Amino acid sequence: MAMIDTSSRAKVDRRLWIEKIPAAYWIVGVILLIIPSFASDFIMFQIFGWTFILGMIATSLMFLGGYGGMVSLAQMTFAGVAGYMVAIFGDSAIDTISMGWPWWVAIPLALIIAVLFATAIGWLAVRTEGIYTIMITLAIAAAFFYFTRQNYDVFNGFQGFNSVFPPQLFGVDWRQPEAFYYLTLFWAVLTYFAVLYLSRAPFGLALQGVRDNPRRMAALGFNVTAHRVAAYAFSAIPAGIGGILLTWQSGQISPGTIAIQPAIDILIIAVVGGLSHPAGAFIGAFLYVILKTFAVDFLIAMGLSGDRFQLLIGLGFLVVVAFSEDGLLGLWKKLRESRKKDPLTGEVTE
Amino acid sequence: MRAFVERRPVWSAIIALVVLVLLYLIFAIWPEWLVDAIGRKKVFLNALFNGITLGGLYFLVASGFTLIFGLMRNVNLAHGSLYLLGGYIGFFVADSTGYWLLAFPVAFIAVGFLGVLLQILVFRQMEGQDLRQTLVTIGISIVMADLMLWGVGGNFFNISPPSWLSGPMETGLVTSQRVRSSGEVVTSYLKYPMVRIVIFAASVAIGLAMWLVLNKTRIGMLIRAGVDDRDMLSATGARIQLVFVGVFFFGAGLAGLAGVVGATFQSAAPGEDTRFLLASLVVVIVGGMGSIPGAALGALLIGLAEQFGSVYFPTYAVVLTFLIMVVVLAFRPQGLLGR
Amino acid sequence: MNARATTGTENALELRGMSKRFGALAAISDVELSVRPGERRAVLGSNGAGKTTLFNCITGDFPPSEGSIRFFGEDVTRFPAHERIRRGLRRTYQISLLFSGLTVLDNVYLSCLGVSRGRFSFLRARKNDALVASSEELVQMVNLWDARDTQVSNLSYGQQRQLEIAMALSGAPRFILFDEPAAGLSPTERSELVEILTGLPGHMGYIIIEHDMDVALRVSEYVSMMHNGRIFKEGKPAEIEEDPEVQALYLGGDDE
Repeated sequence: MAMIDTSSRAKVDRRLWIEKIPAAYWIVGVILLIIPSFASDFIMFQIFGWTFILGMIATSLMFLGGYGGMVSLAQMTFAGVAGYMVAIFGDSAIDTISMGWPWWVAIPLALIIAVLFATAIGWLAVRTEGIYTIMITLAIAAAFFYFTRQNYDVFNGFQGFNSVFPPQLFGVDWRQPEAFYYLTLFWAVLTYFAVLYLSRAPFGLALQGVRDNPRRMAALGFNVTAHRVAAYAFSAIPAGIGGILLTWQSGQISPGTIAIQPAIDILIIAVVGGLSHPAGAFIGAFLYVILKTFAVDFLIAMGLSGDRFQLLIGLGFLVVVAFSEDGLLGLWKKLRESRKKDPLTGEVTE
Repeated sequence: MRAFVERRPVWSAIIALVVLVLLYLIFAIWPEWLVDAIGRKKVFLNALFNGITLGGLYFLVASGFTLIFGLMRNVNLAHGSLYLLGGYIGFFVADSTGYWLLAFPVAFIAVGFLGVLLQILVFRQMEGQDLRQTLVTIGISIVMADLMLWGVGGNFFNISPPSWLSGPMETGLVTSQRVRSSGEVVTSYLKYPMVRIVIFAASVAIGLAMWLVLNKTRIGMLIRAGVDDRDMLSATGARIQLVFVGVFFFGAGLAGLAGVVGATFQSAAPGEDTRFLLASLVVVIVGGMGSIPGAALGALLIGLAEQFGSVYFPTYAVVLTFLIMVVVLAFRPQGLLGR
Repeated sequence: MNARATTGTENALELRGMSKRFGALAAISDVELSVRPGERRAVLGSNGAGKTTLFNCITGDFPPSEGSIRFFGEDVTRFPAHERIRRGLRRTYQISLLFSGLTVLDNVYLSCLGVSRGRFSFLRARKNDALVASSEELVQMVNLWDARDTQVSNLSYGQQRQLEIAMALSGAPRFILFDEPAAGLSPTERSELVEILTGLPGHMGYIIIEHDMDVALRVSEYVSMMHNGRIFKEGKPAEIEEDPEVQALYLGGDDE
C-alpha cells in the first residue's frame, strides 16, 4: 500500500540516489540494455518489442484497476483509437483517407483524441460501480469494434489501414529490430516509472482513497467522480502510446486489433501479472508473448493440436486467479513470506 | 400505472403517442406517401415481428443472467457459454432422437446442473469477491469456448423444427392492397414463420411464470427478500444456500433453453457465446440489473433496435444497440426499470 | 450565550422542514434546527431516533426527501457531499470509515488534501510541504504521534476514534458534526476527548451526537432531543437534565 514520503519521518538516508536503487533494478536494467548485442532480430522485434507494447497497455489497466479499483476492458480500445488516429492523420497505404500530416502533428493529435475518448468513456463507466464497470467497458469495446468494422468513411471498415510506419527520425529507421527494441523499451520504462511515481503523488493517493472508500473520500472534500474520470483520461496515455507502437510494429491497424479477444487478452495479462504494481503488467505481457509464440510447438510436442492455444491461456488464467488474489506478484509475495517463516514456530523472521 | 402517469406526465404522453403510431403502422393500410417515405409495409412488419421475437430470445438469455445477479450479485460472464452449450446439446438431442421438444428439457437440466457446479465450485468458494468471481468466469468462458470448438468443430448447427411448426402462419395483418386493372381488389396478408411465433409465446409464458413465482409464492418472497437484503435472508435460516443453488440452476437452465431456441432461430456456432453474452449485458444494463421486467423491456428494445437497424440503416445496425445503452447510462445509470 | 436570537449574522446551520424516508419508513421527519456560528450543540436520543440519518443528510451522504439545508446562509440542499466539505463542513463517522490499509499520517494527509488545492497534482509532496506539516500537527494534537506510521487496521478502537477527530479537524473547518466520538473509549480517553473538544477554537461550532450524557453535557451549551425522527425538545443542558419528559424517555427508561 502506498505511503507518503515525508523526509521528516523517513530515516535519514545519506547514500547517493544512485546507491538507493535496488539490485534487481540494476540487473534487469543491464540485461535489457545489452539484449540487442546477442539476441536475434526476431527476439528483439517480436518477443521484446511486443512484450513492452502489451505491457504498456496492460499497465494502463493496472493503473485503473490496481489504484482506482476500476477494472476496464476498454484499454485496448483506447490503444486502438490512438493507433487508428495515427493511421488517419499520418501516412498509410489508404491514401484516400490518410491525411499525410507530419508526425509531430499526427502523434500528439492521436494521443489527445485517445485521451478525450477515454474521458468520455470514463464519464459513462463511472456512473455505475464495481463489477458493472467490467460489463460496461466490455460492451463499449465491442461497440467500437463493430463500429470500425462497419465504417468505411473514416476507419476503412474490415480492412483497416496498412503500411503505417514510424517516421524516419534522426536518420534512423525505427522499424529496424534494434531501433524498434530501444524505442519500445524507452516508452515502457517511462510508463513504468511514471505510474510508480504517480501512485505516491496526491492524485494517485487520492485515487487509492477513492478505491478503498469512496463515501469517505467525498466526505473529505474529494470529487470522487472527477477523480475516477481523470484516472480514465490518464490511463489513455500509456495505452495510446502502446497502441501507436503496436500499429507501427505490425505496420497495420484493423478491427481485428481491437476485437473483444485482444481486449480480454489485456485483462488476462494484467490480472495474471498482478494488479498491485506495474511490474505485474510487464511480467504478464512477457509470459503471454512467450506462450503465444511458442505454445503451438509446445502443444504439438504434447500431442495436441496447435489450435488449443486458447485452452492453454484460459486454463493458465484460471489457475492463477484461483490460487492468488494478486496474480503472479501475489504468488511471489506469498512465497517470500513463507520462506521467511520459521518452519517450526510459524513466526515471521526478518 | 396511474402513479406513473401522475409522476411523469410528459413521458406518459410520449409513450402513448409512440403506441398510437405503432398501432397505426401495424393495422392501417399504408398510403402511398408513407410507402415512398419508409418503404413497403411488409418489410416494416417483418422487422417488427423479427425484433419482437428476437427480443423474446434475448429475454430468455438475459433473464437468467439478471436473476442470478439480482439475488447473488454474481456476474457470470460464462453465461454466453452456457447458452451455446445449450444450443449444441439441443442440436444433438433433436438430431439423434428426432424429437425437437425433447431438446428443451435435456438442455435445461444439463446446463442447469453445470450452473449448480459453477455455484458450488466457483461462486461459493469466492463469496463476496466480486472481481475474482468475474475473472474466473471469464477464464471459464475461454476454456469452454475452446472445449466446445474442440468437441464439435467450427460448423454451424441448425436445429430444424418439427413439421407441425415449420412453415408460415397467417397473421391476418394486411401488408398491402392493390387495385388490379380489372377492378379487382387484391389484399395481401403477412405470413410469418410459425415456429418463431410459438417460441415467442413460450418465452412470454416463461417470463410471466417467473414473475408470478417471484411475486405470488413463498419461495418467490424469499428470493425477493434476498435481493433486497441478503444479510437479512441469511439470518432467516439455513435454506439460503439451497435457494442460491436453485436460482443458479434455473438461471443457467434458462440460458441452455435459450440456446435451443437460438439454434432453431439461427444456429449454434463458435462466436455465438460472445454475441449472446454481449446481448445479455446490454439488455440488463438498459433494463436495469436484477430486474425481470427490466430484462423484458431491455430485450424488447434491443431486439427491435437490431432488426429495425438492419432494415433501415444496415451499416450501423450493431452500433445502434450500443447507442441505446450509452444513452440509458448517461441519463439513467441504474437502467430503465432498475432501482 | 444565553440568547437564542439569530439576529445580525447568519446561522452556521439551518435546517427547514427536513425529512428523510427509506421506502415507507420515515427516518427523520420535519426537522427544524438552527445553530449559530461557534455554537456547540448536542443532539441526544435513543437508538433509532434518526440522529445519524440527520448527519448523513446534512453532509450530503444522501439527499433529504424534503426540506432545505443552509450552511452559513448558503442553500446547500442540492450540493454533493464534497462541495459542502469544501465550504467548511466536517464530520466524523460512528462506524469506522477509515482507510485501513494506509498509515495514520496518510489518512490525515488525505483529509488535508481533500480540502486543499492540488488534489489532482501529479507531483509528489516535497520536503517541508505545507500539507504534510499540517497533517503532522493534527496527528500530534490527538495524541497519535507515536502511532503515526502504524497502519490503521492495527490501531486500537480508541485510537481510530481519535484519528477520526484529527481528520475532521483538517483544513479550516467552520462547523463539525461528531457522531458518537466517545463510544467505546476508556474513561481516560474520554476525558482526553472532552479536553480536545472544549479546547477547539471558539469560532468552530459543532453538533455532537453522544450516548454518554456526561460527555455530551460537558462539551455542549445547548441540547436538542430527538425521538422517532423528530426534535421534541431543546434547551440548555441543565434544563434538559431536569425535564421530566426527557427523563422518562431517555435518561431513566428504556422504552424502545
